[in-house]
Amino acid sequence: LCLLMPTYKLTYLHLRGRAEIARDLFHLAGVPYEDIRYRLDEVPTISESLPFGQVPMLEVDGKKLPQSHAINRYLANEFGFAGNSAIERAWIDAVADQHRDHEIEIWPPFLIHLGLEPGDRDSQMKEKIEPARDKYFTILENIAKENGSNGHFVGDSLTWVDLLISEHVYTFTQYFPGFLDAFPTVLDTVAKIQATPKLKEWMEKRPVEKF
Amino acid sequence: FSAISQSTMPAYKLYYFSIRGLGEVPRQILALADVKFENVGITKEQWPEFKSKTPFGQMPVLEVDGKQIPQSFAIARYVASQHGLAGKTPFEAAWVDALADQYKDFNNDFKKFFYLVLGFGEGDLEAAKLEHGIPARDKFFPLVVKQLKSNGTGFLVGDSVTWVDVLYAEGSSRVAHEVPGFLDDYPEVLEHAKKIHAIPQIKKWIEARPV
Repeated sequence: LCLLMPTYKLTYLHLRGRAEIARDLFHLAGVPYEDIRYRLDEVPTISESLPFGQVPMLEVDGKKLPQSHAINRYLANEFGFAGNSAIERAWIDAVADQHRDHEIEIWPPFLIHLGLEPGDRDSQMKEKIEPARDKYFTILENIAKENGSNGHFVGDSLTWVDLLISEHVYTFTQYFPGFLDAFPTVLDTVAKIQATPKLKEWMEKRPVEKF
Repeated sequence: FSAISQSTMPAYKLYYFSIRGLGEVPRQILALADVKFENVGITKEQWPEFKSKTPFGQMPVLEVDGKQIPQSFAIARYVASQHGLAGKTPFEAAWVDALADQYKDFNNDFKKFFYLVLGFGEGDLEAAKLEHGIPARDKFFPLVVKQLKSNGTGFLVGDSVTWVDVLYAEGSSRVAHEVPGFLDDYPEVLEHAKKIHAIPQIKKWIEARPV
């Protein structure tokens, strides 16, 4: 019996960014894929081939799919990292959307703070980054506790929202050691997630990118 | 043994302010799915106390069998998935998700103009229109027209209505109503809204809705 796996191609930049959860999922599932990375200045040259002119884009047997959360949810459903009931899936979606709202808030000042976008570098941390962090991570700390401090943010098995939060914590604690010390259950949950063997292996061998 | 109820209809309660806003799409999905739900309007006075009872301190919140689901898209997708309104295949469902997130991205820019139109916040309306309204519109709506044309069924994805059709129809019709002529360059989008709003269950909801 030959099970034909689809051919997967993932197109993104030389970053972990919005594609890393998909990459994590491929590695966790042990499914091969083409990991295509472009420089930012190359994106205009491929823009016509991208459904919304943006990356990341997933191709499944040549069929294109844009938008990182749509990609993450699709792969998670295919590979079994999407929760174990309709209510669980809804809760995963809710946390993921809350996370997305948080990223929209924290990334612009983060990039200004790093000097990668124009703006007043010195004011970003106290005025924007820390308040955004506190608002969101207070919620996550409660979610982790109420879920049973079981190494997951939703349910009792690894899901794509675990990976979403894990990668975010990875990046922000890399740049700002101690950044999340006020949220120990979150850090403990992320440590357990990152200890998952296939994920740990990928995190150790993956290309080193800025974020 | 005891007889099992043939139709264990979940008790749906939707909590939001008594405005359309982020509550309208979940309400329309519930109406489209023909499911009974309690449409709970929280007043400004009730909100501070109710807020502390919600998972993320935000609304809308859907209560299903005593469990709370926040985040309007998570709610919409949950109800839609239970009632055949989320695409016919996993890939179709992923495209519904991608279009929904693309709309959210558009709205994050567009609302810098549109909230002023609706009377929220302060600012120079004409300046916001030039800086945010028009660019956001002209970046997003050509993609919508492209999707409608290439899908060719009158719906955004597949050959039947999905929750993202409801999202787009509410958004575009609201904009066209509040800023007359603003979408005249995108007749296909206005046609799409008319088609979706002509669906009997939605038509009935719109005619009877309190706001």
